[in-house]
Amino acid sequence: MLRILHDTKFDFISHWKSAAIGTIAFIVLGFILLGVHAARHNGQALNQSVEFTGGTVVQLTFENPPSADAVRNAVDQAGFSGAEVTTFGDSRNYLIKVQPQEGVKAAANADSVGAHIVQVMTQRIPGNQATVARAESVGPRVGSELKTRAMMAILLSFAVTLIYLAFRFEWRFGVAAVIASAHDILTTLAFLAMMRLEISLTVVAAILTVIGYSLNDTIIIFDRVRENLKKQRKESLYEVLNRSINETLPRSVLTHATVFAATLALLIFAGEVIRPFSWVMAFGVFTGTFSSIYVAGAILLWIEHKWPRATGAETKGTAKALAEGRRREQPAATAGSR
Amino acid sequence: MPLKWRVLTIIGLCLVSVFFLFPRNVKQRVRGADGALHDETVRHVPLRRGLDLEGGTYLALEVDDSKQAIPADKKKDAIDRALKTVRTRIEGYGVSESVVQKQGDDRIVVQIPGEKDPERARQLVEQQAFLQFNITDKTGALERALPKLDQVVKQRGLATATAADTSTKAGAPNKALQGLLTSGDTAKKVALGKTAKDSAAKKDSAAAADSLKLQAGGAFSSLLQQGGMPGEYYVATTDVPTLDKFLADSAVRAALPPGKDMVPGTDSTSLQNKWYKAYYLVDHNPIITGDYLSNARPNQSPTDGTIVEFSLSNEGGRRFRNETGKHIGDYMAIILDGRVMGRPPVIQGAIGTHGQITMGGKGLADAQDLALVLNAGALPVQLRVAETHSIGPSLGEDSINKGLRATIISVALVVVIMLVYYRFSGLLAVGGLALYVLYTLAALAGFDAVLTLPGIAGFVLSIGMAVDANVLIFERIREELGRGKTVRTAIDEGFRHAMPAIVDSNVSTILTAAVLYQYGTGPVKGFAVTLIAGIFASLITSIFVVRTFYLLWLNRSRGAQTLSI
Repeated sequence: MLRILHDTKFDFISHWKSAAIGTIAFIVLGFILLGVHAARHNGQALNQSVEFTGGTVVQLTFENPPSADAVRNAVDQAGFSGAEVTTFGDSRNYLIKVQPQEGVKAAANADSVGAHIVQVMTQRIPGNQATVARAESVGPRVGSELKTRAMMAILLSFAVTLIYLAFRFEWRFGVAAVIASAHDILTTLAFLAMMRLEISLTVVAAILTVIGYSLNDTIIIFDRVRENLKKQRKESLYEVLNRSINETLPRSVLTHATVFAATLALLIFAGEVIRPFSWVMAFGVFTGTFSSIYVAGAILLWIEHKWPRATGAETKGTAKALAEGRRREQPAATAGSR
Repeated sequence: MPLKWRVLTIIGLCLVSVFFLFPRNVKQRVRGADGALHDETVRHVPLRRGLDLEGGTYLALEVDDSKQAIPADKKKDAIDRALKTVRTRIEGYGVSESVVQKQGDDRIVVQIPGEKDPERARQLVEQQAFLQFNITDKTGALERALPKLDQVVKQRGLATATAADTSTKAGAPNKALQGLLTSGDTAKKVALGKTAKDSAAKKDSAAAADSLKLQAGGAFSSLLQQGGMPGEYYVATTDVPTLDKFLADSAVRAALPPGKDMVPGTDSTSLQNKWYKAYYLVDHNPIITGDYLSNARPNQSPTDGTIVEFSLSNEGGRRFRNETGKHIGDYMAIILDGRVMGRPPVIQGAIGTHGQITMGGKGLADAQDLALVLNAGALPVQLRVAETHSIGPSLGEDSINKGLRATIISVALVVVIMLVYYRFSGLLAVGGLALYVLYTLAALAGFDAVLTLPGIAGFVLSIGMAVDANVLIFERIREELGRGKTVRTAIDEGFRHAMPAIVDSNVSTILTAAVLYQYGTGPVKGFAVTLIAGIFASLITSIFVVRTFYLLWLNRSRGAQTLSI
């Protein structure tokens, strides 16, 4: 039997202070970067896709790699001097992002912008055929609508999981899990700022998946806590938490390994279009693991400390109290878990 | 459940899955390189691919309220009516598997897979196709109204510095143009001064004199040059925005001759290296509209080039004959969506049920599209494109290939990890994983879900996550074995103890995916669907299928003392 990290007795929780400092530093650094981006890109802290800002994006594929200057010049000459020109993946692919012009016709322009640039390109860079691989255009109203929808999706998934957790576990667990999820969103935002990744609807989907995944992890550990508390050992919640984390450690390592293998495959092989998604997922594996131990676990302890159960002073904060309190509060949940 | 039934259930699920995924012949109507439609029979696995994989055009349309505010309930009603028209047009366009549907209350979404010319698709759905036939003015009414128009423009403060500029330089070309036009051989091409004098002689010489005098100074009148026929005016292309701005003003519109409209034409004319656009003064009330149209078809005519021939319904034909009979010798403007198509022809006699629209220099494809939109009928409101996505077929294919490669590699990695770590039990999990892939794909095909690139990514991810339930169970079995339980009991207990964690964690993921499905658009919806299908398939395989594998193994090797896990 091949075993890794079997029967470990690491004191994970004791490191919570350094963990907290580390993650807060990461988040603060990320948000400072957001501020820097905002100052540099006219208040656009996050690199949002045209889906959210409105505007036009055209991906051109050239037969041979052109020089970046030539592409830039051609775009300028085509009359889109404010456009953002970047390579996309390799040097044969260029992404041209045009911000919405004032007026309403922006959306209609996607295809003509592409066609127009290609026309100028063919004149300026003869013998290097450019084709429009993709053209997207979003009117400003749709953009703000999609933004609202994305925010709604994130908030709603929060609410829904909170309700589910409240139903399955007691509220302390639910609150701890949701704070862990909020932490994941913050670190992911910091990560997005550091990598300057473009935020599209797909990336929002990735963020939600990361939240779900991290929640998975938290639930697995909490489930073990719940079970160990029921065993009525005279252990403090602190010890129970540590033991539960150690007991679920082999599972965590293995599952993270398989999921990370899948994300690596996506990151390396699935191409440029889906790459921001892959990056967020890859990062999510780490932040999810971290937050289920150090955020969810630490917050649970803190809540327990702050609002101890009213089951009597002598058993305050002990495993027994937690278990009994739980049973009284949530008889249905215990029955349902079988 | 007895073991026999377990095995039968699994086999049954596999058979159903294979049935759903079995490649079948699909008849597709596609547009070939020649632009003509033809049927093609393709044999493929019945998994629908989204536009981002297939290549094609996506359009979201909304009511254009940029010119006037339209209340929300009216918009909703207009969208409902427009939906039918757009659907008829797209069906007429003929590419199979096109989708036209309402999104929310105020939007229409059109998806045309494989469409390589997004601009054409856009034209097809955006064009209002409101056709009307109006008689052009022959009385010089505009010339008489010019003083008032100039005054109104001045009062409204519409004339800006640019307009003043144009008025100063307008004098010279005016004369030049006049000369050019009179030298033109067509009898109908009459220069400004002459028409003005003609009408003046007939009507009111004082007014005409006034109009001539104001011609030089007025911001409105200085933009216009008399065109080649009555009621036709040329406007330098550079002045067109200014004139359009004037005409957009309600006070200016009110000052136009009563019962008349000023409508731009489609054609531009070049005179002395300067481009002019034609405007026409036409009767406000059309003699007939496209409502009476019964059929339109594209054609090539040796004299007029590309044309669209149309026939009117019986009632329309009667009306048309009556009206044209009254207007013999007049000019009739064919107005499509507020633009005069070509030059208004002269009515030589009463016209019956047939007519034609000349397409100017445009090609047969444009004539085809115009015939199509005329047949489908006019849109009740002007629509505008709010969102477009077009993906070239090569990018889609590239995405499929890359997605497939990522899938294969991630499956291989997961298989290796499971086999190395769990040995025999890992093998059972891999067997479960194979069925997982089969079931997930079958579920997607069965529910007619659309596979998108994020969907493929979600599938790849879910392969990594699918083994999580197995891992949870295996770790539990190990723990039970470690406590000295027999193999059979350890397996039983392992499955039982792992259940709450598996259920809780998967339910929370399903909830997140459901929210995504509700709020996501195309590709993201595809992602949510794959995720949900994947979770259900993974629950079935890890809890039920792998358990059955264990039971089968226990049956074969009765009294096994060790388990490779």
